Amino acid sequence: MPEYFITFRSVTGAQQGARLLGRAGVTYQLGRTPKSISALGCGYALRVRPNDAARAVGLLRRDGAPFQKVYQFPYGGVPAEVVI
Amino acid sequence: MIYFDSAATTFQKPREVLRAVETAMRTCSSPGRGGYREAVRADGAVYECREAAAELFGAKPEQVVFTMNATHALNLAVKSLVRPGGRAVVSGFEHNAVMRPLRRLGARVEIAGRKLFDPADTLASFAEAVTPDTQAVICTQVSNVFGYRLPLEQIAVLCRLRGVPLIVDASQGAGVLPLSLRSLGAAFIGMPGHKGLYGPQGTGILLCGRTPESLLEGGTGSLSRSYDMPPFLPDAAEAGTHNVPGICGLAAGLRFVMRRGPDQILAHEKAVLDVLRRELREIDGVRLFEADGGLETGVLSFTAEKDCEETAAALARRGAAVRAGLHCAPAAHESAGTLESGTVRVSLSAFSTEREARRFAALLRDVLREP
Repeated sequence: MPEYFITFRSVTGAQQGARLLGRAGVTYQLGRTPKSISALGCGYALRVRPNDAARAVGLLRRDGAPFQKVYQFPYGGVPAEVVI
Repeated sequence: MIYFDSAATTFQKPREVLRAVETAMRTCSSPGRGGYREAVRADGAVYECREAAAELFGAKPEQVVFTMNATHALNLAVKSLVRPGGRAVVSGFEHNAVMRPLRRLGARVEIAGRKLFDPADTLASFAEAVTPDTQAVICTQVSNVFGYRLPLEQIAVLCRLRGVPLIVDASQGAGVLPLSLRSLGAAFIGMPGHKGLYGPQGTGILLCGRTPESLLEGGTGSLSRSYDMPPFLPDAAEAGTHNVPGICGLAAGLRFVMRRGPDQILAHEKAVLDVLRRELREIDGVRLFEADGGLETGVLSFTAEKDCEETAAALARRGAAVRAGLHCAPAAHESAGTLESGTVRVSLSAFSTEREARRFAALLRDVLREP
């Protein structure tokens, strides 16, 4: 199963997003953005399960959390930006 | 000790503030720098403080920038808006945290409103002074020397109508008076964390209605490939490692204030100060600086026949802590005509008591009886 990374340019934005997801009961893991998808260097991302990705992005979008992009991380594969 | 110097720092802190500082030192590393447990815990702790400050002061969490103190916050604000040689309008009661940055910039400073406890005069003076070429209006919410509450809301309306950005020095008002970045529409509001918010020294907040220019440049844990500071809040103004223990203590202080309610804390301070004021009025040679309409805050200045510093020193020997002199606000003393004499200032907190007020008055009587 692939994982989804929702990226943020700063830890403050990621914290905002994390709280939104937490309040909505979406399971997430907050951590550093993998270097392979961090074009600008150093950022934070919320890692969510595939089944939660669409809902998570919808919640973040609805409440104006400043996420940047969404990436799909297949195990052993190359990460790819996805549009949700 | 009777601690009546809370306008400098609230020395008595809620226990939870001390606990929060200790917990942070044991459990948190640097926020925004790592993905391991201690770093993520620090991220969350810092963000909690942003959320608390945002809730109390009508802002969004990202509009809360952490600083070392109010002076740092006000420097950021002033230097973001006022260009070298530019025009700034300030009240007659500003602290050197405002006046010295303006001097450093070579700004053309117009002082508006010199009359103590006269908000109508203050407002009229601002209305006259604020012109289209004014780069910033800078106004303290409360005089740190006299406890005079300036008509900030009306000054904010004036600034909005004239399209001039407003910087508020909330050093004495934050935690006791209503204050909202959103409602005021201010460009910036600076405040200390260690006074009315009961956080540790070394903490301060700049509420940002716009993105400030940086005073320090360095690592932010974001956009690291770039040699420029990030253009977004709060990173634009937060270079280097945060004071995490201080910020965690500040978060606990903010929660203490929100739980008690700023209006309740103010009412308590005024009630205790009223007891003291009545006692001081009975002492020969003591001149109180007070508004006709009653106490406005928990700050009160007085002069006596003795030198103000000697009076404070004699009180200190008897176990009472107050601040004397010019209180880093020569402009305020110039306005009140006390630049030469200085004043003795008493300033209270949520922990001050009426018993302390009575005892303080007795000690002052004793001091003034001394040859």
